[in-house]
Amino acid sequence: MKKEIANFKINGRPYEVIVTSNMTLYDLLRELHLTGTKRSCGVGQCGSCTVLVDGNPTLACSTLAIAARDKEILTIEGLAKGAQLHPLQQAFVDAGAIQCGFCTPGMIMMAKAFLDENPKPTRKEVSEGLGGNLCRCTGYVKIVDAVLAAAGAMIKGGNP
Amino acid sequence: MDPFEYFEPRTVEEATRLLFHFGKRARILAGGIDLIPRMQKGDTEVECVVNIQKIPGLEYIEPNEREGLTFGAMTKLHSIELSRIIQNRHAILYEAVHQITSVQAKSMGTAVGNLCVATPASDVATSLFALGARLKVTGVDGEREEPIEKFYVDYRQTSLKQGEMVTGIVLPNPLPGTGMAFLNLLRTHADIAKINVAVAIVVQNGICREARIGIGAAAPTIFRAAKAEALCISQRITPEIIRRAAEAAADETRPITDLRSTADYRKEMARVLVKRALEKALEMAQG
Amino acid sequence: MKEELSVVGKRVPRWEAYDKAMGTAKYTVDIELPGMLIGKVLTSPHPHARIIQIDKSKAEKLPGVEAVITFEDIPKRLYTPNRHDLILYHPENECKDMYVISEKARFVGDRVAAVAAVDGVTAQRALELIEVKYEVLPALLDPIKAVEPGAPRIHDFAPNNISLHLNFPGSRGDMRKGFQEADSVIEETFRTSKQLVSQLEPCACVASFGSDGRLTIWSPGQSAFLQRRKLAEIFDMPEGMIRWITPHVGGSFGKYGSLSVEPVCAALAKKTGKPVKIEYSREEDFSRTETRQTYIATGKIGVKKDGTITALQEKLIVDGGAYFSRNSTTTMANMGGFTGLYRCPNAAAEADCVYTNILTTGGVRGYGNSEAMCVLEQLVDKAAKEIGMDPIELRLRNIKKAGDPDNKGLPMETCSLEALIKLGAERIGWEKKRAEKKENGTKMRGIGMAIMMDLSGAHPSCIQHRNAYIKLNEDGSANLTVMAYDMGQNLSGACAQIAAEILGIRYEDIHIVNGDTDSTMFDTGIGASAGLYQVGHAVMNAAQEARSQLLDRAGKRLGVRADELEAKNRRVYIKSDPQRGISIGEVTKEATYNFKGEHLNISGKGSFSPTQSPPPFAAVFAEVEVDIETAEVKLSKILYVNDSGRPINPATVEGQVEGGIAQSVGYCLTENCVINRESGVLESDNFTTYKIPSTLDMPETEIILYEEPVASGPFGAKAAGHGVTIAVNPAIANAIYDAVGVFITDMPATPEKMFEALRRRQAAI
Repeated sequence: MKKEIANFKINGRPYEVIVTSNMTLYDLLRELHLTGTKRSCGVGQCGSCTVLVDGNPTLACSTLAIAARDKEILTIEGLAKGAQLHPLQQAFVDAGAIQCGFCTPGMIMMAKAFLDENPKPTRKEVSEGLGGNLCRCTGYVKIVDAVLAAAGAMIKGGNP
Repeated sequence: MDPFEYFEPRTVEEATRLLFHFGKRARILAGGIDLIPRMQKGDTEVECVVNIQKIPGLEYIEPNEREGLTFGAMTKLHSIELSRIIQNRHAILYEAVHQITSVQAKSMGTAVGNLCVATPASDVATSLFALGARLKVTGVDGEREEPIEKFYVDYRQTSLKQGEMVTGIVLPNPLPGTGMAFLNLLRTHADIAKINVAVAIVVQNGICREARIGIGAAAPTIFRAAKAEALCISQRITPEIIRRAAEAAADETRPITDLRSTADYRKEMARVLVKRALEKALEMAQG
Repeated sequence: MKEELSVVGKRVPRWEAYDKAMGTAKYTVDIELPGMLIGKVLTSPHPHARIIQIDKSKAEKLPGVEAVITFEDIPKRLYTPNRHDLILYHPENECKDMYVISEKARFVGDRVAAVAAVDGVTAQRALELIEVKYEVLPALLDPIKAVEPGAPRIHDFAPNNISLHLNFPGSRGDMRKGFQEADSVIEETFRTSKQLVSQLEPCACVASFGSDGRLTIWSPGQSAFLQRRKLAEIFDMPEGMIRWITPHVGGSFGKYGSLSVEPVCAALAKKTGKPVKIEYSREEDFSRTETRQTYIATGKIGVKKDGTITALQEKLIVDGGAYFSRNSTTTMANMGGFTGLYRCPNAAAEADCVYTNILTTGGVRGYGNSEAMCVLEQLVDKAAKEIGMDPIELRLRNIKKAGDPDNKGLPMETCSLEALIKLGAERIGWEKKRAEKKENGTKMRGIGMAIMMDLSGAHPSCIQHRNAYIKLNEDGSANLTVMAYDMGQNLSGACAQIAAEILGIRYEDIHIVNGDTDSTMFDTGIGASAGLYQVGHAVMNAAQEARSQLLDRAGKRLGVRADELEAKNRRVYIKSDPQRGISIGEVTKEATYNFKGEHLNISGKGSFSPTQSPPPFAAVFAEVEVDIETAEVKLSKILYVNDSGRPINPATVEGQVEGGIAQSVGYCLTENCVINRESGVLESDNFTTYKIPSTLDMPETEIILYEEPVASGPFGAKAAGHGVTIAVNPAIANAIYDAVGVFITDMPATPEKMFEALRRRQAAI
């Protein structure tokens, strides 16, 4: 199978990686030791592997790595600025929205894409916005609380 | 995933040539949300993936007073969801897309891709049956249009010939007096439909001029319940007509029992959903 | 306990939440070691077969393959994956029937061989090259079939495939008399469903033998010390030669109280001399790891016209699956729950645990008690209907009170059941809603409720032994070293709150050292909701010893006795003269760097073994709307009234309840584990086919945290995380019963089943 060198931009950093056509974006992230993005189902049903590609919420397990080259990829590791958490991350921590934490990276990335498009959502809209992300621990209540709190914080303090 | 050859054509012509060359062993990559998981599970024998994401001019939603509204092969489900004109004039397409809970699937996935998977459970496809959609098909020999009713020839089989791809969908403009409704039943909100029903009627001067009743997940392909439609045409849509049409529609189903539901339940629910959809469509037509 | 608390009782964020929010928290699946190989397991495609021959030669020759192992290569020591056999006072019912790699295929998914290779693709290819010759045997996919005369034995030692018959030792009274006294007797048979745990992190393990021969395991296992002892016994090693590390865990819910792939992973690591990681896909996790306990349960209740319950009887057929694992402990808990919730002089239970050729039934949150309540609490509502009594009134007539024995036979320090019921009934408007018209167009409204009592640790059935130690750092912060297994229930955070409160320092001054048998002291592991009540108590003891040393030392500095001092807000001060004090940091710095030779690293060690297991209580109310044409059940609201004593962290307790509600909604209505009745293959093997609730499937939820502290608990706390799946399911079922008179006996209550039930009911009218 053909191997080729492809360029990726992940969390603002350029990477040059040898890829084969059958690598998924999830496989690529793992090769680069970016273990924050999780895989729970591998078939696009759980949302745990959600990353942003050119700002669009994208399932890394269902995306070919090679199809994502030359695009801006944002993973959970790219949200915080050093020790400064993104408002969504802070809100998840403060609201008690994190239990086992396995769904958290995908949940936060999806929430970011959602708030980027809809900065003043209702509770119902937040639930709809997270409809593609499964969680087994929290029952979603505090996750929705956290997204609403983050929306409020981002309106006050700006959307980083 | 097994290894495969990968191409990023820059024109539709290039894409169709590749598809023609590789035939059954080729797959189009648009959104990938159906294809990639299936390839990971080893479900398809894919030797070649043709990524059409880089072909310009395939991502659009264009209303046209004469021809109807068209959208392209790379038009994302989310764009359809956000389109005001689709919400207003082709409401059941909006509803079918909106009730898909995975925002990721709607951001990545395309309506055309959804149609081409050819599962009889596609909510989007059933709504397009009721909307009288036509598919724009391009192959190595040129272009043609296919009414959606002809598109599905059998379970997971489309009428596409070797080298052909769907480049867009045309939705005829709704006539005055149009009413429509989309309903489905699911186990959880994030699920493939157990059964779905999409209805569009045109009522003028109290008489039903046109009726399209699409039913999905109740036969090997989505189908139009022709007998039920015939009961409505040239009639005043009364509760009795609705009842009889719903019964006829249920009779036309050939459902199976699978993980999502039973044949018996699907048949019963075809009746219930067609009845409710006709009631709702009538209310809209008269409103 | 009305004192003012600084940290306990506060909604402080979890200590590990930051790592999880930033994506830096490492789970087993994220562990990467130099030279690590990827392990994969070959499993049987047949539900029941003899393994005649395995030819691994082709697989071994594949470049990149470093080991291919079969039954021939593993230690021939039978074990039970569950760890109760090590700590039960009466372990006679436990059964060692499993090998690292099976000698016979007993379910589709049973381990037949394993490979370790340089990467996953090579390992997968190697699996495909292993040639196994099977002699296919008749498959027994149902416990009724499995016990029929002539059925082939799944395990040689179990005739008719009954692994164990259990007569519940807590049975009491005279059953015949009890049912004779009743004015109404209701008997029903229920089938509870085989819920797939669906923790989001798929099962994984990393194993590595060091050059010193020590084995290191990274695993989400819940009982590191006990589970390493099991590995030690299997591999004939002393325990001290095994280091068991618990990375962050992406959910367990009790499942990892059993060993899963650790033994086979260790076997591969041993054979290759390299680290090996096994990472299951979702399909592999669903089809190969333990599920919720599953029963065919016949329950019988006798009531008098005045509402007195005169007799309760339960007969269980445990659909045990291919291996015994936790068949007996879950079943004992089931029978205890059924016979123990209400005052009733005549109560008995018995069970047959049956081997079947399906995925092993394990022990999951609720642990038999959930299943018992599905049966009991529905029977109570049906009995109430029979005698024309409100179901709350019937419950109140038979409710237990403080001092009565709980469902383990221990006298209860407190019992808030009556208070919870009344509080919830008032809040939800029970009387008004029960009296209201049910019809709302094509929908029928209903309201139902259920109660439960649970436990705070597996006392008195098991040894429970906890340890913790605390050392104060020079700056006045503290390291708390404790095996506080955290699968999301924030045990470690709660422990930090307890320690901080006692030491008088801030929550963020506690640094937690957790999850490593090399640093922490012994702990029997988490399960049966033991965490907070027991581990928290050990932490409390350790903190109190450290506090004692701190006050002593501070007292010397201030020239007063220790008992005149208080520690709060990072200061030690004289109670009668609070201005006179000294910062804790100063005390610790001086004690550490002491130029008079009086060195002291202030610390404390605490141990705890319980003498009680105070039950948490709950009363759950559910409102539903049933569409009588589609038979769909829409869950409008759940009100959960919870008593876990004093919540150390209310946000944590709420989060556990909310999660339990979600799991119960799935269990009751949508989660359908489908095993093909001919091939024995799990058809519902991913989230596409097995439907757990998403955001939009959750009802409106309200939680009331009722606080009745127990004297024996750390700061009055009891357990919270385990019981939250117990009463929700029957509350929903009882609401459906109220709405449409349909009684759910076969779970989950899918619309297809509801439709049939409504149709039958219509025909009967």
